[in-house]
Amino acid sequence: MTTATIAASAAPVRRTREGQWAGVVLNAYMVLFFVYLFAPLVVMTLAAFNAYDYPSVTQWRGWTLKWFGELARDERILQGLRNSVIVGIGVICVSIPLGLSGAFILTRLQSRWTGVLYGVLVSPILTPGIILGISTLIFWRNFEVPGGLFLAMMAQATFIASYSMLMFMARLQRQDRSLEEAALDLGASSVLVFRRITIPFLMPTIFTASVIAFLQSIENYNTTVFAIGGNWTLVTEIGSRFRFGLSPVINVIGVIFVVITIVAATVYVLLKERDRRARAAK
Amino acid sequence: MGALIRSYGRSLTGLFIVLTVAWVIGMIVIPQLFMVERSLWVRQESTQISLEIDRLYNEISTLQFDAQQAADADKPAIENTISGIEDRIAELEVQEKAPQKVYTLDNYTRMSGLHLKIFVRTIVYAALVTVLALVVCYPIAFAVAKVATPQAAAFLMLGLIIPYAINELLRVYAWLMILDYQGVLNTALQWVGVTNLAAQQWIPFLESPAAVFVAMVYAYILFMVFPIYNTLETLDRNQLEAARDLGASTWRIHWRVAIPHAKPGIAVGCIMTFMLSAGSYSVPQIMTRGTSGDWFSQTIYRQFFESNNWNQGAAYAFTLLIVCIVFIFLMMTIFRVGVRDIAR
Repeated sequence: MTTATIAASAAPVRRTREGQWAGVVLNAYMVLFFVYLFAPLVVMTLAAFNAYDYPSVTQWRGWTLKWFGELARDERILQGLRNSVIVGIGVICVSIPLGLSGAFILTRLQSRWTGVLYGVLVSPILTPGIILGISTLIFWRNFEVPGGLFLAMMAQATFIASYSMLMFMARLQRQDRSLEEAALDLGASSVLVFRRITIPFLMPTIFTASVIAFLQSIENYNTTVFAIGGNWTLVTEIGSRFRFGLSPVINVIGVIFVVITIVAATVYVLLKERDRRARAAK
Repeated sequence: MGALIRSYGRSLTGLFIVLTVAWVIGMIVIPQLFMVERSLWVRQESTQISLEIDRLYNEISTLQFDAQQAADADKPAIENTISGIEDRIAELEVQEKAPQKVYTLDNYTRMSGLHLKIFVRTIVYAALVTVLALVVCYPIAFAVAKVATPQAAAFLMLGLIIPYAINELLRVYAWLMILDYQGVLNTALQWVGVTNLAAQQWIPFLESPAAVFVAMVYAYILFMVFPIYNTLETLDRNQLEAARDLGASTWRIHWRVAIPHAKPGIAVGCIMTFMLSAGSYSVPQIMTRGTSGDWFSQTIYRQFFESNNWNQGAAYAFTLLIVCIVFIFLMMTIFRVGVRDIAR
C-alpha cells in the first residue's frame, strides 16, 4: 500500500539505526491496520455484484447488476429513505437553533454555573444512544405521543444539538469581538448587529453543522430503533432485514454508501489540505 | 448575564435562554428523570381485591336464593342489600382494573440470574474492546500525527475517515459476511483443510460471543483514533527531538512526553469506545441475528417491545447509564482531566 511508504520516507523523529527498524515495524503495522479497515468493505462491495441469492463472495455465481434493479423496486426501502430525509431535515431545524443558543450562552455567560451548564449540554454525547431513545419514548408517552418519526427526530436532536453547539463554540472562540462592539458603539441595535455581523460570521459553520447533523441523523440506528415505533427509516429497515430477508440488496445500499462516502471524504480532505497550504503560504 | 445582554440585546438573549432551557429541561433532564421515575415503581395487582369481589358475588347469589324463599314483605329489604353489594362490587372492579402504583426497588433487585450474566458479560466485553482499541490505535494516531509528512498525513486521514463515515450497520454486516457459516473465513479454512463446507463441517463463529466482540472492535475502533490524533497533533515535534537528543529511548519518549500530552484524547477515546460498545444494539443484533445469546441492549429492547414491561426496561437502561457515568468519572480520575477537556 502506497500510504505506508509515503509515511516511511518522512520520519524526521527517527534517524538512528534503531529508528530505522522502528520505522519498518511501524510501516508494516500501518499496512496491516489499513488492510484490516478496508478488506471487510471490499468483501461487502463485491457481494453486491454476485448473482447468488444470499449475500456471499465465496459462492460466486457470476457478475450481475440485478440487485441494483431490485433495490430500485424495493418500496419499503425507498419509503425508509424518504422518512430518513424527513427526520434529518427536522433534526437540522431543531438542533441548529438549540446549538446556537447554547453556544452563545456558554461563550458569553461568566458564572460559576457555566461549567455545570456545559456539562449538562454535552452529556447527551456521552450517553449511550439507546438510553436517549428510551428516555424520549417514556417522556412523550405522558403526552400520548407514540413512537414514530417525530420521536425519532426529538431523540436524535437531543445529542446532535450538542455536536452542533461544540462546532459553534469553536467558531465563536475565534471571533474578533471588536467588530460587534464598534457597531454597537456607533448606535446599531443589537438585533441589527446580530443579523449583519454575528450570523454572517457563523454562516459557514451553520452550513457545515447542518450537513453533519443531517448525516448523523440519517446514519443513526441505536437511538432511532427505540423511538421509531411502527414506522421506519432507511437504517432501521436495513437493521430489520438482518432478521428477515437478508439479500444482496443490502450490499447494494452498502456500495452506494461507500461511493458517496469516498467522494465526500475526498472532497473534505482536499479542501482541508488546500486550507492548510494557504495558511502555510502566509 | 450582563455580557450576554450587552452583546445581543434583551430580546435575543431572552430567546437564547428560552431555547437553551427548553433543551436542558425538556430534552435532557426531564426525560431522564421520567425514565428513572418509571424504573422505581411497579403495578401491583392486589389479590385481596379479587378475593373480596368473589366473596361478594357469592353473597349476592345467597341473597337471591333467600329472596325467592322470603315473604313478600321482606323482599324490598333484601333487594336493597343486593343493590348495595352490587355498587360495592362495581367500585372494587374499577380498583382491580387500575392496579396500584407501588414505589419499590423491585425492578433493580429482581434482575434474574440470566439477565445479570448478560449484563456482566456486556460490560466486560465493552471494557475489553476499549483496552484493545487503545493499544491498537495509539501507534496509528501517533504515526499519522507526528511521523508522517503533512501530505502523507492528509492521505492517511482519508483512509481513516472513509471507514469511519460508512454506516455502522454496514460495517458490522461486512463482518457477518466474513464470519458466516459459508463465509470468507470458513472458506479460507477449507483451503487449509480445517473445514468442509459441502459436508456442513464449518466453525460456527456466529454462535460465539467472540463474533460480536470482533465486529464491535471493528465498528468502534476509529472512535479511539481521532481523539488521540487530535491531542497528539498539538504536541510540538521539538519536544520529541529534545527528548531524543537528551538520550531518551523510544519507550521513554512515549511514556514521559507523548502519552502525558495525549491524556485528554486517550480519556475521550476510552469513554466513547466504552460507551458505544456497552450500549450497542446494532452490533449484537446483526451478528447474532437472534440465534445466540442476547447482549444487554437486546435484553432492554425485549423488555420494552416484547415483554411490554417498560418499568423493568427503564431500570435496566438506568443501570447501564450508571455504569457509563461511573466509567466517565473513572477515566477523569485516572487521566486527571476535566469535563472541558473531555468534550471539545
